[in-house]
Amino acid sequence: MRIQILLAWRYLLGRKQRMALTTLAVVFGVTLLFGMNAMIPAMMEAFRHNMVTAAGKVDISISGDSNNPFDEASLDALKDIGGISHSTGLLQKNVLLPESLGGTTDPIAGASAVTVTGLDIPTAQSVRNFQIKEGRFLEAADGSETVISQLLADKMSLTVGDTLSIPSSDGIEKLTVVGILSLSASAGLDEIFVPLATSQRILNLPDKINTIDILIRSDADRLTVENEILSKLGPNFKSGPVEVGNELASALIMGESMMWLFGIMALAMASFIIFNTFRTVIAERRRDLGMLRAIGASKRTVMGLILTESLIQGVVGTALGLMFGYLMCLGLLASFGPMLQSFMRVSVGGPVITTANLVGSILLGIGFTVGSGYFPARSAMKITPLEALRPSLGAAEFRKNKRRALWGLAMVAASVFGLVIGELNVAALSTLVFLAGLIMIAPVMVKPVADTFGKLISLVYAREGRLAQGNLARQPGRAAITASSMMIGLAICIAMIGMITSILNGFIGYLDKSLGTDYLLMPSSLVLGGGNLGANQGLIDRIRNTDGVEAATSLRLAASQTKGAALQMIGIDPEVYPQISGLAFSNGDPATAYPALANGRSIIVNGMFATSAAIKTGDVLTLKTPQGDQVYNVVGVAFDYLNAKIATGYISQANLATDFNASSDVLLLVNRKTNSNNSAVLSALKAIAKDFPAFSLIDSTEFKNEQINMFKQAMSTLYVLVVMLALPGLIAMANTMSINIIERTREIGMLRAVGTTQTQVKRMVFAESLLLSALGTTMGILVGLFLSYLLLKALIFIGFTVDFFFPATGILMSVAVGLTFGIIAAMVPARTAARTVIVEALRYE
Amino acid sequence: MTMIEVKDLSKVYGSGETKVIALDSVNLTIEQGQFVAVMGPSGCGKSTLLHLIGGLDRPTTGTVTVEGKDISKMSDTTLTELRRRKMGFIFQFYNLIPVLDAVENTALPLILDGVKPETARIKAKEWLTRNKLEDRGSHRPDELSGGQQQRVAISRAMVADPVIVLADEPTGNLDSRSGDEIASVLRKIVSDWGRTVLMVTHDPRIAAYADRIIFLKDGRIVDDALLSGDNGDNAKRLKEKVEAL
Ligand SMILES: Nc1ncnc2c1ncn2[C@@H]1O[C@H](COP(=O)(O)OP(=O)(O)OP(=O)(O)O)[C@@H](O)[C@H]1O
Ligand SMILES: [Mg+2]
Repeated sequence: MRIQILLAWRYLLGRKQRMALTTLAVVFGVTLLFGMNAMIPAMMEAFRHNMVTAAGKVDISISGDSNNPFDEASLDALKDIGGISHSTGLLQKNVLLPESLGGTTDPIAGASAVTVTGLDIPTAQSVRNFQIKEGRFLEAADGSETVISQLLADKMSLTVGDTLSIPSSDGIEKLTVVGILSLSASAGLDEIFVPLATSQRILNLPDKINTIDILIRSDADRLTVENEILSKLGPNFKSGPVEVGNELASALIMGESMMWLFGIMALAMASFIIFNTFRTVIAERRRDLGMLRAIGASKRTVMGLILTESLIQGVVGTALGLMFGYLMCLGLLASFGPMLQSFMRVSVGGPVITTANLVGSILLGIGFTVGSGYFPARSAMKITPLEALRPSLGAAEFRKNKRRALWGLAMVAASVFGLVIGELNVAALSTLVFLAGLIMIAPVMVKPVADTFGKLISLVYAREGRLAQGNLARQPGRAAITASSMMIGLAICIAMIGMITSILNGFIGYLDKSLGTDYLLMPSSLVLGGGNLGANQGLIDRIRNTDGVEAATSLRLAASQTKGAALQMIGIDPEVYPQISGLAFSNGDPATAYPALANGRSIIVNGMFATSAAIKTGDVLTLKTPQGDQVYNVVGVAFDYLNAKIATGYISQANLATDFNASSDVLLLVNRKTNSNNSAVLSALKAIAKDFPAFSLIDSTEFKNEQINMFKQAMSTLYVLVVMLALPGLIAMANTMSINIIERTREIGMLRAVGTTQTQVKRMVFAESLLLSALGTTMGILVGLFLSYLLLKALIFIGFTVDFFFPATGILMSVAVGLTFGIIAAMVPARTAARTVIVEALRYE
Repeated sequence: MTMIEVKDLSKVYGSGETKVIALDSVNLTIEQGQFVAVMGPSGCGKSTLLHLIGGLDRPTTGTVTVEGKDISKMSDTTLTELRRRKMGFIFQFYNLIPVLDAVENTALPLILDGVKPETARIKAKEWLTRNKLEDRGSHRPDELSGGQQQRVAISRAMVADPVIVLADEPTGNLDSRSGDEIASVLRKIVSDWGRTVLMVTHDPRIAAYADRIIFLKDGRIVDDALLSGDNGDNAKRLKEKVEAL
């Protein structure tokens, strides 16, 4: 082992430039993997912090299976269950505190949301122990009285006797603080407790509760009692508290897997680079290794030597990658944080390092490095002692290349066919096959591409261009692998940039369509669900009665489940909504779909859900409701701007009220009469909005611009991220160029000896590098087009109607990136080559 | 004592049209303490013979026995160990590891054999001193002349106390003065340190340092003679013989 480490270390130090580049590739991959994945949990954590409901210390908590409120009357079913000692019904919801009522966007320092819990006062105290620190607990006669947690009292500097105003469905609810709970009684949450009736009024849910807390007899078995309760209550209940924010959490999880994919992709490119390096290392050291075998080194020793070298690089690269990843995460969170705060009302803390991420990054970082050193190491093992004595044989690669290329060609053909079929999974697989096929073809493409672009370069550097062209074609395998890593990076760039642009364009379109009214009354959080509080009929009536208002309509919200997944339910007015706003349809006909909603149980689902659940117009869906399962007919696939990212179904508000007990308006769309005075209407609406602090009145044009700007900002960050994926391509090229120069030291010395100038040597290196990048760029553009097409398909598939886009921007950018990379990659090697000391080069063995 | 015994040794490369018989039923016995030079025209099978005796390659037919053990059927592992402990190799192109200095290069076979690095270094330095390289111990190969590199290679070949030293054209890359230096070191290996040396060379002047000359032609031994008397005369006679063949 000792000798292997000594040799590995010395060999690495002997080629510092190459070692640095190879290690850099690993560093980059691990940075991306680790850093990105440290970011997602930070966001999840912040999200949870805000959204989690208080889990009381009770034996059993029962809630609606679909997380919707249910009738108080359900409690009656529990009366004759022997194992229950006490039970109480609660109505609980997170309510966002707008700034006008003392809310802040910083949930750590101030309160951004409160958990409102309505208690049935006599039974509540028998189930949970409410320890009062100051004042008194709620009493049966109380109405607008509240008991709050100490945390909230501290944050908002409230004491007994103060008034706390919170948004309510009729506008504002003014509550008098009569007691403050001790810290231990509320698990560090911003909680307020009110009488059940008060909470039902605030939330516009008369006679409804959403949780039953139960204490069991000490001699009863928890599981038995739980089963008995569930069987008594029927199928629409589950054990456990109300879950909120499921939909968004799953979007974050999707983001997480995206990040893993990005990181692994970067590492895959890194392993190309390492593979290339070690292949050269083996070729370069054939003689050394043969000698070692001759003087008695075993096969394992020789293989171990190469593996040790890759291990050292893997360990160093991974360690640095973890460090940079952490720093990157810090930086990104710092720059993303404010945006998220304003967008989702979620405050994001520092990077969160999960064990899975840490272990995963380390394993993948070291694994990929050692793994890509493995095959070269095996070929090193096979070197016979005789190699030490023979001049090395470099031929025979070409024939194998040709056979492989044929396979590659077949794969490319098959993949194009697979893409045409139009099945998304097949298309995704086809893309992989296409990529692999192209990588296999690459070696035979080197010469023709080099010849084609060589002519171009010869126009500038007449003699050097010719030489470079020949040089590049000498190692087709190496050039191909290098170009492949560039190809992957650029292809992703092209496709993603195209997609980002088209999504941006698309979203602006949907924005116009679904929020196309003159004014909006928006809930505090843009993402529906979670902590938003709706308004009762009073708000929309007042708006409709305002002078100058032509029409107003609203969106209502509930939660459901179907096919085991969460589904957000949005209630629309099937008559008014399409008149002043509308959904963007990707399937079905709006002319029949809207009227169908008003007729029996019909639903329009959004693309995201339609895709994941394989639903199309004409299917039937069984939805979980607080009233039990209900069957809905799917009459269309369409979506609105705000809910495109969450699995959503649209039904009539009438059905939402009967089946889901939801009749609060969470978003209002208002149109003004054409001849009315904008500022007069605006100020009239402002006056109304003032009484409903849960809402903010927004001039649509303003809002849209704001949204577009925010989008563009987010997109530009994504651009940066995507372009970063092209970086390994640069490293790969620089690495290959540096390898090529090292390998040809003798030759370059000879060229210098016979009178080639330093400038000419430099030009030769630049020309070769440019040719190499031309190869990578060409391949990248090909795959990029393919990938763009695939993404387009995927977008349509998940329900976004996107116009076909030719990724012209991406292609132009790739050409620019290719050219730049070609030049940058050659800079250091060109200098090294030009500075070759003739005498030493000729001694070089 | 018989050190090396070669029986009916043949080596055939390729088959059919491209078949080359590099060695054709060679029989040969080499005693301990003999300095044997192998000569012959290019392509006659000299290197092949050396490789087979050194266990670097496998014979097509026939056997090679070293110190009474048949090496032609040994497993790779056993053979590797044998090379490590019993044989020293000197190559035409020195084949030093460029990233190790002279002492480290010399100590390599011992370290591969698991000897403690300190002990290995001491032995390596001893051999470098014997080969008049005591002041070059910390130099890398690219800081040494060809002759010096070859003397490091000889030190490396000797450091593990091998019984046989095999050298394939050790002076092929050197001028005549350095060549003479190397040849006299090889001579010393036999005369002073009692090892057996088998050397391939083209150069009659270098071959004249040996005790015994074997001539190969087309894979067969065509002449086998002991040398005695003056080096210069021997060289002249060998030269005539080479030209005759
Ligand atoms: N790996 C091989 N494959 C095919 N033929 C080979 C191989 N190695 C050697 N030969 C052939 O075997 C014959 C003997 O080769 P060998 O290297 O032993 O000759 P040599 O006497 O050492 O020549 P030189 O003096 O030129 O080094 C030659 O004809 C050579 O072409
Ligand atoms: Mg030879």
